[in-house]
Amino acid sequence: MAFTPFDFNEAVSQRRDHANEGLRFGSPVVGVSCTEGLAIVTIRRSQRKVFEIYDRIIYSAIGNQSDIEAIRLGAVDLAAREGFQRSPDDVTAQRLVGFSLSPALKEIFRDQWRAPSIIRALFGELGDVAEQDRFYILNYDGEFAAHTDRAALAGSAAAEDRMLETLHASMGDSLPDLSHAIEAALRAWATGSIVLNERHDDDSDSAAYDDRALRSRLREELRSARVEVGILERAPNREARFRLLESAYLDPIVALLIEDNAAGNGLEQS
Amino acid sequence: MSHRDLRALISGETPVIPIPEPAAPNPAATAPHPSHGSAVHGTTVIAVKYAGGVINVGDRRATANYAVMYDRAEKVLPIDDYTLLAISGSYARSMEVVRYLRHSFRYFERSQLQPMSLDGKLSELAKVIAAGLPAAMQGIGGFLPLLSTYDRTAGEGRIFFYDVMGARFESGEFAAAGSGSMQIRGVFNYIARTRGPFHTMDRRTALREALFLLDIAADLDAATGGWSKVLPLAKTISAEGIEDVPEPELAELTSEITELEG
Repeated sequence: MAFTPFDFNEAVSQRRDHANEGLRFGSPVVGVSCTEGLAIVTIRRSQRKVFEIYDRIIYSAIGNQSDIEAIRLGAVDLAAREGFQRSPDDVTAQRLVGFSLSPALKEIFRDQWRAPSIIRALFGELGDVAEQDRFYILNYDGEFAAHTDRAALAGSAAAEDRMLETLHASMGDSLPDLSHAIEAALRAWATGSIVLNERHDDDSDSAAYDDRALRSRLREELRSARVEVGILERAPNREARFRLLESAYLDPIVALLIEDNAAGNGLEQS
Repeated sequence: MSHRDLRALISGETPVIPIPEPAAPNPAATAPHPSHGSAVHGTTVIAVKYAGGVINVGDRRATANYAVMYDRAEKVLPIDDYTLLAISGSYARSMEVVRYLRHSFRYFERSQLQPMSLDGKLSELAKVIAAGLPAAMQGIGGFLPLLSTYDRTAGEGRIFFYDVMGARFESGEFAAAGSGSMQIRGVFNYIARTRGPFHTMDRRTALREALFLLDIAADLDAATGGWSKVLPLAKTISAEGIEDVPEPELAELTSEITELEG
């Protein structure tokens, strides 16, 4: 039996549906540049979600756990090999994503005999100054896009757009410090989460922007989950730039944000 | 059709960080190659314990035969937040080994999501030393390191040294390696017996004793550099991690020791 162009289109679209369905309810991820460095913020349940790839590269993803791991390990391998055989200075997210990860994902996606990877990944690359920070969002089909000072990752394009708007509403165009970046990122997370759970995209425009709704969404989520923030520090006082922030640092920021009567720094006022 | 998994598809199948092998020695050669002496060598490094952890000091000289090649060599090198390597012998080989260990420890931690155990790190170092043995036997690339670490569970500093085949020894109090180390072996014992064990000394006292030892090594060994032009290098490793001993403190202690000599 002949394999026609129609079959090809049909097969590709089925694979897309399959992958999109798998991504739909992943916990959104937010990347933000701040004065202290470059942070990736998300909310997790059981599995850790933010990882170090190399000296200046950080990673998080939504999707199938084993695909997230495969991309993580592949990227760690590549970066380590290049950094050892040439120099850590030659390891860049652009090379990693553009020349290695993207072609590999594309190859798997177009191979009709293999299940497509279910993953949408965010890579952050720390520059010497904030203007040089970069984010790359890599899709299951090998497509990728670069962003400069902030990035949002979620299971739908609508959710990502809204998250970026919330980030902009909280921070404007300025470079925040770490605690403000985390606060804004958590609001963006809640926006994404609300949009992803909407039945229809059209009738709840205001809900995703209402600060009270965002905070109550966070409150509800954090009953059974916890905030995870990984940062690459611009000026570390240790050998490694990467660290996961401890709850001692995060808890007060989160508590202030989800408090019932927190009114001082809400979006309505800004 | 290829059915390699995603990771293999991305990263290939060659080893990520292979153990560095020195230049292949000529199997026919039985005596040290006449050219071996012209490679650059590091001289004396010392590790002593103190109440808060371990102090490492080293002179700054690197030599090739009778020539001083470099007088600002750094021979006490951090491998990770809690591991210091003090190197002696072939400079090229030691730098390559330091680079290997740094990358290999970080790679393990990044890929496995947990730091490599102390025992794992010590074996890794033994493996690279052993890999260099055939070449070292012919006089190429021989080097001996001292590894200092801070054991955060036991709350104490630890010092390890190796032989050329990669045998690992733990030292209770102190260790030295390099061309001036044999000359000062007995002095360590004398200090420990007359002044009390190093691990009970405070930081400044232990640092002063270590610098004394380095000065004696410079006096008795032709290759070890003194501090008349360039200050030695000293680092501490403690519960807070690795710290440089600040230059003003080194300048003060070294001039104090020099004055005592009269």
